Amino acid sequence: MATGGGGGGGGGGGGASKYLTDLPSRGLFSSTVVSSNPGGLRVYLCDHETSPPDDQLIKTNQTNILIRSLTLNKQKAESGSKDVKGKATTENAKGKRAAESPIDGRGSAKKSNSVSNPRTAFQDGSSSRTPQKDFQHLTVERLRSFLKERGLPTKGRKDELVARLRADKVAREEQRKEE
Amino acid sequence: MLDVPIYGRIATLELFRPHGEAQDFLFIATERYKFCVLQWDADTSELVTRAMGDVSDRIGRPTDNGQIGIIDPDCRLIGLHLYDGLFKVIPFDNRGQLKEAFNIRLEELQVLDIKFLYACSKPTIVVLYQDNKDARHVKTYEVALKEKDFVEGPWSHNNLDNGASMLIPVPMPLGGVIIIGEETIVYCNGSAIKAIPTRPSITKAYGRVDADGSRYLLSDYAGLLHLLVITHDKERVTGLKIEFLGETSIASTISYLDNAFVFVGSSFGDSQLIKLNLHPNSRGSYVEVLERYVNLGPIVDFCVVDLERQGQGQVVTCSGAYKDGSLRIVRNGIGINEQASVELQGIKGMWSLRSSTDDQYDTFLVVSFISETRILAMNLDDELEETEIEGFCSEVQTLFCHDGLHDQLVQVTATSVRLVSATSRVLLKEWSAPPGFSVNVATANASQVLLATGGGHLVYLEIGDGKLNEVKHAQLEYEVSCLDINPIGEDPNCSQLAAVGMWTDMSVRLYSLPGLELITKEQLGGEIIPRSVLLCAFEGVSYLLCALGDGHLFNFVLNLSTGELTDRKKVSLGTQPIMLRTFTSKNTTYVFAASDRPTVIYSSNKKLLYSNVNLKEVSHMCPFNSAAFPDSLSIAKEGELTIGTIDDIQKLHIRTIPLGEHARRICHQEQSRTFAICSVKYPQSTNEDSELHYIRLLDDQTFEFISTYNLDTYEHGCSVLSCSFADDSNVYYCMGTAYVLPEENEPTKGRILVFIVEDGKLQLIAEKETKGAVYSLNAFNGKLLAAINQKIQLYKWMLRDDGSRELQSECGHHGHILALYVRTRGDFIVVGDLMKSISLLIYKHEESAIEERARDYNANWMTEVEILDDDIYLGAENSYNLFTVRKNSEAATDEERGRLEVVGEYHLGEFINRFRHGSLVMRVPDSDVGQIPTIIFGTINGVIGVIASLPQDQYLFLDRLQSNLVKVIKGVGGLSHEQWRSFNNEKKTVEARNFLDGDLIESFLDLSRNRMEEISKAMGVSLEELCKRVEELTRLH
Repeated sequence: MATGGGGGGGGGGGGASKYLTDLPSRGLFSSTVVSSNPGGLRVYLCDHETSPPDDQLIKTNQTNILIRSLTLNKQKAESGSKDVKGKATTENAKGKRAAESPIDGRGSAKKSNSVSNPRTAFQDGSSSRTPQKDFQHLTVERLRSFLKERGLPTKGRKDELVARLRADKVAREEQRKEE
Repeated sequence: MLDVPIYGRIATLELFRPHGEAQDFLFIATERYKFCVLQWDADTSELVTRAMGDVSDRIGRPTDNGQIGIIDPDCRLIGLHLYDGLFKVIPFDNRGQLKEAFNIRLEELQVLDIKFLYACSKPTIVVLYQDNKDARHVKTYEVALKEKDFVEGPWSHNNLDNGASMLIPVPMPLGGVIIIGEETIVYCNGSAIKAIPTRPSITKAYGRVDADGSRYLLSDYAGLLHLLVITHDKERVTGLKIEFLGETSIASTISYLDNAFVFVGSSFGDSQLIKLNLHPNSRGSYVEVLERYVNLGPIVDFCVVDLERQGQGQVVTCSGAYKDGSLRIVRNGIGINEQASVELQGIKGMWSLRSSTDDQYDTFLVVSFISETRILAMNLDDELEETEIEGFCSEVQTLFCHDGLHDQLVQVTATSVRLVSATSRVLLKEWSAPPGFSVNVATANASQVLLATGGGHLVYLEIGDGKLNEVKHAQLEYEVSCLDINPIGEDPNCSQLAAVGMWTDMSVRLYSLPGLELITKEQLGGEIIPRSVLLCAFEGVSYLLCALGDGHLFNFVLNLSTGELTDRKKVSLGTQPIMLRTFTSKNTTYVFAASDRPTVIYSSNKKLLYSNVNLKEVSHMCPFNSAAFPDSLSIAKEGELTIGTIDDIQKLHIRTIPLGEHARRICHQEQSRTFAICSVKYPQSTNEDSELHYIRLLDDQTFEFISTYNLDTYEHGCSVLSCSFADDSNVYYCMGTAYVLPEENEPTKGRILVFIVEDGKLQLIAEKETKGAVYSLNAFNGKLLAAINQKIQLYKWMLRDDGSRELQSECGHHGHILALYVRTRGDFIVVGDLMKSISLLIYKHEESAIEERARDYNANWMTEVEILDDDIYLGAENSYNLFTVRKNSEAATDEERGRLEVVGEYHLGEFINRFRHGSLVMRVPDSDVGQIPTIIFGTINGVIGVIASLPQDQYLFLDRLQSNLVKVIKGVGGLSHEQWRSFNNEKKTVEARNFLDGDLIESFLDLSRNRMEEISKAMGVSLEELCKRVEELTRLH
């Protein structure tokens, strides 16, 4: 409109004409006489079966998005740990990295950077620290029951309980390694 | 093609073609989170449900900017944005079947638009969103279907135009996306960015012209159409161009059809079919409007009036918005445009005759009276004057007249049949009734005459050139009440069948011609004699119509070769005897049923339809197609003979009065024959003029502005009322206004203006300042009741010492959030609150106070209320529901009495702006349906509907019918009727109760015979009775 509008309004011959040539046509509407009465439309009467084929009644996956992303990450992490330890990342993770790298390179997308960073951090961390995170998320009651199972004292504040469990876990893992 | 009812408010509609399919599928998602995929089966003409489902989530905040539904151009998935922060994916498998849907977290909370990019190896969406600082950006994501997650997309673009609101994905080979802003248009594909500035404007719709995406049509909020051109060298975009094309209705959707034809769909004005011309017209526009498709929406207000004073309501709506604002006069039934009329009492019959067989126009109009026959003809000055046909007998009543073959005319009187030359007008031949017998009824066509004399004698004559031969005589067991030999077979001059109505046994029979052998006999039942029979054909289907003396009409489908009668149906047209006649208008045959409620019978999609004619009582009708009055009808009514043309035969007639400004309130005043409207004129151009508000007076016949009162700056008209006050015989217009200041959230000041109409001018008589917006005005016990912000206020009309008048505040009632809608009945006041549902107030005369009597404690956000009767009040709320509440005046405790009990609930699916008592159909006072009170409503989408308060037994009957119908008539796409009609808002969803879906019930009449019988059997009610009850219902609107 900045330039064309004035031309179209005052100029007459010029303006949009050159852009209106070769409008697509499949040969319909060749006559300019339109004779239709939209008021006389037949109302569709649906007296046949309308339920979809059995497998096409679509429902939404009820898994919570957070849980799903956690399980996904866990799966990734597991498949990663099964690999040789030297190759820390799976093919999957590699693909993801590759997709992300151009954004980092462009640098224009500040927001996307800031978004992707915590995510990768989360992924990195999740492989080793998931159990600890889990402790932190558990309720005090659950923590106490865990402690009880392991024959540890169940008293104290939540932080203390978590620390006790973590210490126990580290101790057990070391024990396992030694075995 | 088809008008398909969908059980839902359609939120998104997309056409797509999955892999390996030969035709497109239609994806529909409704606002209540249902979706379906439909396929058109051309062989069976059915809409097949390919898939359907529920895409609602239990938690999630519905999006503010509307639901988005998009389909990947490569058909890998359907994307839905329904809740903030969630993107729902319905994936396709490689056979084109849908799989289980899943959600992906979308970090952007304020999404404005989402589109799929073309030709990406992985499905990629581009998201236009707004951040916390109100800056707008676009960003791309790849959808990883296996991981059920987003992967950062190939590019993003920050800090766009602050008004960026729309994305247009560009197909290959160019790819990328166009971002439409208010001041710029940007093309962006990750590697290249092109931008052009535009004149500030808000683009509302786009339509792609070329398959390669190099040209687009854009339409803005003012209906200005532009062409956006992407210049490119086949691979790379080199620039953007925008060209002004012209003005259309304010578009909400644009579809390029083909060959420069474009459909502009509008929700603010009429939709249009336009053509883009290569060269501009004299006003510089390339747009040629070829056709307009009427849209009444948004109906902001309307009133029901009877301008022709015929006892039939018409609706005058405030329709359209902004520049497309208009008044629409909506009238039901068929109008007669009177061309000429003469006073003539006691007409007993009318026939038109031609002066020669080949003449295309009628010349004579034969009018029969009890003891004479007069002949009228068009003279050279095109005036109707009395003339004579010498060969006719004019001293007696004529029973029938017709044009015969060979330039002859036939007249049948009680004693004889006269054959007269049309050219010389002399008697050629006469057949006399046997002595002692007189002709009672007679009929004729061009070559045949059939008459019945007393004693049940049926005589059949044939017309030859100057000859009249008695061919056959038959003796019937009873007297004949009516006859017809209208030729509907192959020969237009000769009939093979004769229809005969009988006294005594109340039957209608078919006899063969010329043999006069009985073919079919149909008992009508009951004790009412048939008064008129007619053989006719519509759309290739032959019918026998038979009208009774009590206003009922039977119709049968007639098999012409066997004479078999099937599909018997009975409808009630009026209460008086009916006379049936055919006439032709625009090359189509119709039947006119003259009675106390004249009706035109016609056929659409092989179904008989009945449309009432807007005349009070018609005793006789005959077509009169003269040179001066082509295609006219001659109508005998109430001592008057009228010649007039007939409207197009359709149910609703809508007349548009374009205003060029937005009418918001309307009121009619009977005494001054005027309308008053409150209207807004928006600035034409971008000159910083603010909008202008007016009160305008219109003539109720011409609809021209005859007087205008300019409101102050910032002053909006909010309500208008025509009323009179106690101790004052004048009728006034009262207007309520509000000063809407930009810095205020709610108006704190307003005015009530009282006008009188004098010499067609608005004269301001009194004005009263108020402490808020005057949302509603009502005449109340000779006083004026106003709703002003939170308060209901009563004003007295006081005479001052100097003889002038003023409004004086009497009492009021506080305690509403905003009292928006008020209705009164006696001393009761019903208030619809912004968010506190309905409350009932009462005015106490002795104490001169208004007190609350009861309220509904639900938190409904009201859009309108109305009083149905003393105890039941109707409300509409903003989640498109209707509900009724009941006053509990007999309850035992105060607490119960103070509660309005919710008795009816229903999801209408339309946003109602106004209820008005009234009806669009003429009411016959002594018929059953005439007693049913009705309310008309108008909605944002331009729907006008009727709510009828049915008597209990009829409700129960129809409720049973509805529940049987739901089993037979399925929701398209597998959508459920029960779920659709369930009352639903943010707080609750409950099943519909005490409301019936009239549209569904009336679709019973469209069902096939087998289906109807199925339902009739399931209900244990005869099919005839069912049809009659439903037909009766259709007569309510």
